[in-house]
Amino acid sequence: MRYLIRRLVLFVAALFGLSLLVFVALRILPGDVASVMAGTNATPERVAALRSQMGLDRPYPRQYADWLSGLMRGDMGVSAISGRSVASQIGLHASITMPLIVLSLIVALGVGIPLGCQAVLATHARVRGVLHALAIIGGAVPALWGGLLLIMLFGRGVGLMGVLPSQGFPDAGWRDPAAAIAALILPAVATGLVAGAAIMRYTRACLMSMEDSDAVAMAMACGMTRRQAMLGVGLRLSAAQLVSVAGLTFAQMVTGVMVVESLFNLPGLGAMLINDVGNRDLVAVQSELFLLAAFFLLLGVLVDMVHHVLDPRLGEQPEEV
Amino acid sequence: MVQSNGAHGMSDATETDTTAQATARQERGEENQQPRVAADASTNVSTDASLNAHAKQRKSGRKPIIWVIAALVIVALVACCAIVQTHARKAATPTASESIAIGIKLAPVSLDIRNQSGSALEQLLIGNVYEALVSRNSNNEVEPGLAKSWTISDDGLTYTFKLNTHMRFSNGDTLDATDVAWSINQLKAKQYYNSDQVENLKQASAPDATTVKLTLSKPDANMLWYLSGRPGLVFDKDARYDAKTTAIGSGPYLVKSFDSSSKLVLQANPNYWGSAHKARTNTVTVRFLPDDNAAFNALTSGDVQVLSPVNANMTGKLKSSGKYTVKATDGSDKFVLAFNCTGAKTSDKRVRQAIRYAINHKEIIASRGGVDAALGGPIPSVDPGYEDLTGLYPYNPTKAKELMRQAGYSTSHPLKLTLTYANVYGSELGEQLRSQLSRIGIDLSVNTVEFSTWLQDVHANGDYDLSLVDHAESHDFYKWTQPDYYYHYDNPQVQALYGKALAATNDKDSARYLKQAARMVSEDAPADWLFAYRVSVAQVKGVTGFPSRLTQSVLPLWKVAYTPVTA
Repeated sequence: MRYLIRRLVLFVAALFGLSLLVFVALRILPGDVASVMAGTNATPERVAALRSQMGLDRPYPRQYADWLSGLMRGDMGVSAISGRSVASQIGLHASITMPLIVLSLIVALGVGIPLGCQAVLATHARVRGVLHALAIIGGAVPALWGGLLLIMLFGRGVGLMGVLPSQGFPDAGWRDPAAAIAALILPAVATGLVAGAAIMRYTRACLMSMEDSDAVAMAMACGMTRRQAMLGVGLRLSAAQLVSVAGLTFAQMVTGVMVVESLFNLPGLGAMLINDVGNRDLVAVQSELFLLAAFFLLLGVLVDMVHHVLDPRLGEQPEEV
Repeated sequence: MVQSNGAHGMSDATETDTTAQATARQERGEENQQPRVAADASTNVSTDASLNAHAKQRKSGRKPIIWVIAALVIVALVACCAIVQTHARKAATPTASESIAIGIKLAPVSLDIRNQSGSALEQLLIGNVYEALVSRNSNNEVEPGLAKSWTISDDGLTYTFKLNTHMRFSNGDTLDATDVAWSINQLKAKQYYNSDQVENLKQASAPDATTVKLTLSKPDANMLWYLSGRPGLVFDKDARYDAKTTAIGSGPYLVKSFDSSSKLVLQANPNYWGSAHKARTNTVTVRFLPDDNAAFNALTSGDVQVLSPVNANMTGKLKSSGKYTVKATDGSDKFVLAFNCTGAKTSDKRVRQAIRYAINHKEIIASRGGVDAALGGPIPSVDPGYEDLTGLYPYNPTKAKELMRQAGYSTSHPLKLTLTYANVYGSELGEQLRSQLSRIGIDLSVNTVEFSTWLQDVHANGDYDLSLVDHAESHDFYKWTQPDYYYHYDNPQVQALYGKALAATNDKDSARYLKQAARMVSEDAPADWLFAYRVSVAQVKGVTGFPSRLTQSVLPLWKVAYTPVTA
């Protein structure tokens, strides 16, 4: 319990630091939303008028305080350009990116863990070698290239076996779940395979280190086969490490899927951020970045807690966490 | 067989037990485990060898089946998905389509056409959702719009418009002269976007419900044309709505939904007042496809039926497939390589002229697919006052080197210049210019920045040597007469000629003055016009009525229709 409180206090302190960092970093960028709105034909007077209309001429500490007090009330502000609330904007785009990440993670874990186990347990050296090579190749292929390959193989209208949509998100969105998931399959496979290769290597390394451990030896001494002992005991003991890896992969994917989203023309969080930064819609960008970073932090807290559940030994020495 | 089954059963039964023991041992502490690891490892191999042998036999018998089943399930799922999808698609495609999807490259960031810059807004909303007092056809000429006729007084200071009757907005409100006068007076009062184009417009008034009178402070030959664009748009003075996310206009379409990161959905306006421009297709979806490859895939996979623009280097495959028609269309896009006329190094006219002689326009156009047109001056072919000025500065590296020598530079003693431009135009153009200019002794460093940074550094602060922008607007010659615009070009003769062109009461004289002014600008070499961008439009067979010119600035969609061709 003490551990939990300490972790939460740290979390809140980190959020504060984060908000300041995000605010300052964005103010260093050249250009502002008023000049973007006014465009290439604008007169300086017009830009100045827009600037005061949008409150960009207020002093920075005041802007920061306004933003922070809004955040505390759960109000992330309104985009200066689109006129939509930032929360709804994030929700709209996250409804594509988050399912995509979850699907990618399912693909990654579904491919990585069984193959990783197999790479240790396979009886033929040749099979192990092939699997190891697969893991290295898979990790070396950029998701963008893999995505292009997938489009050329399975993209509807362009691929050799045109079965899956490869462009955009269905008009009906999640009201048509089948079409929505179909639109996410190829991008999820593209990112999932790359991440899967990494998870496969981690799984392999974890299990290899377990191979010689007492726990596995004991299990075998009690009558388990090597395979049973490795999967039943070894994998169970590696779970904590694998959860960390999966958590990190999840966090990486938030930014990692951006490239693939643009290839498949999915309007996800990546497209949103790039557009908003490009338009210097700073109120929107700072809230979006803040939320994303908070999400990373939260993920870290969650992974730590899962660790505690999976590995009770950690609870005994909280100083080491 | 029986034996091995027995062994299997036994080990299953003991499994929970052993795990419990293993965990128990962990909890005792790890210190005394470490030394035993080596011993364990060695015994592992020998003692379990026979057990392992049994186990492997059994497992290797079962394992492939699981994998095969898993693979079959996945394949079956994918196949089901595909079948459902294709069936759904077949069912959703009627003979004369109720809907059509169009792919364009640049998205408008909001629908606020009175405040937000960007040609995509004009392209999509004018003539489709909002209508102007007068409209513009695909030859860039003014036509009747909300006004069916107009007269201009002899002194050019009073415009009297006669409006159509029984006009309504999409929300059902009537549209009459008071809305028109209100919209134009608001434009002036609130300084909305492009209000500077109608500087000479003093006031609008509505003597009766179908008459609008505009008073000018001095004659302006461009006035009517500008009124066909943003300054002439008519808004509902009684409606309250969020103009950034929705739109209430009088056009043949209304905005059903808008998301700047994916699409704009237009739906036929049931309250549309006119019969001439009534929408032929119920739903038009405009998708925003900034990535050229993604756009190409969207077209070939049938997600869009029209792609404008399509990358000219990708059209070969489309043409050869026989399923698409591809056309290059004229427009007003000018790729302007501006030289800072008051810059430390580029204020020397010889340097500017040398750069113009050194640029091989043919090579640049060819690398972009060979459809763009060479352009030697500030006025594009679709505007009044156009003249082919490409002969003024033909590609001539010898002459360029000579001019550079006079200015005091050579390949061994190069002039260092920086080209600043927005990353939306890609890195190729900068690289081409760098290599072409290096031959005459200019060491060009290319600085691609975000558009907003360009706006700040180049456009607002005028801090640059060379800059490259696609100036898409038509009738924008007046920027060469404003010395404080980022070109920093100040030539009183040009300004006087432009003044004459505006004051001229007939189009012919006006165009003649413009022509003279444009030639003068080009001779002074304040910029090089790399090319006039010609948009390639690809459409699948069965699409009719898509505009064939000026698609980047006016895109009337009421005529567009799609009847799928059944193979």
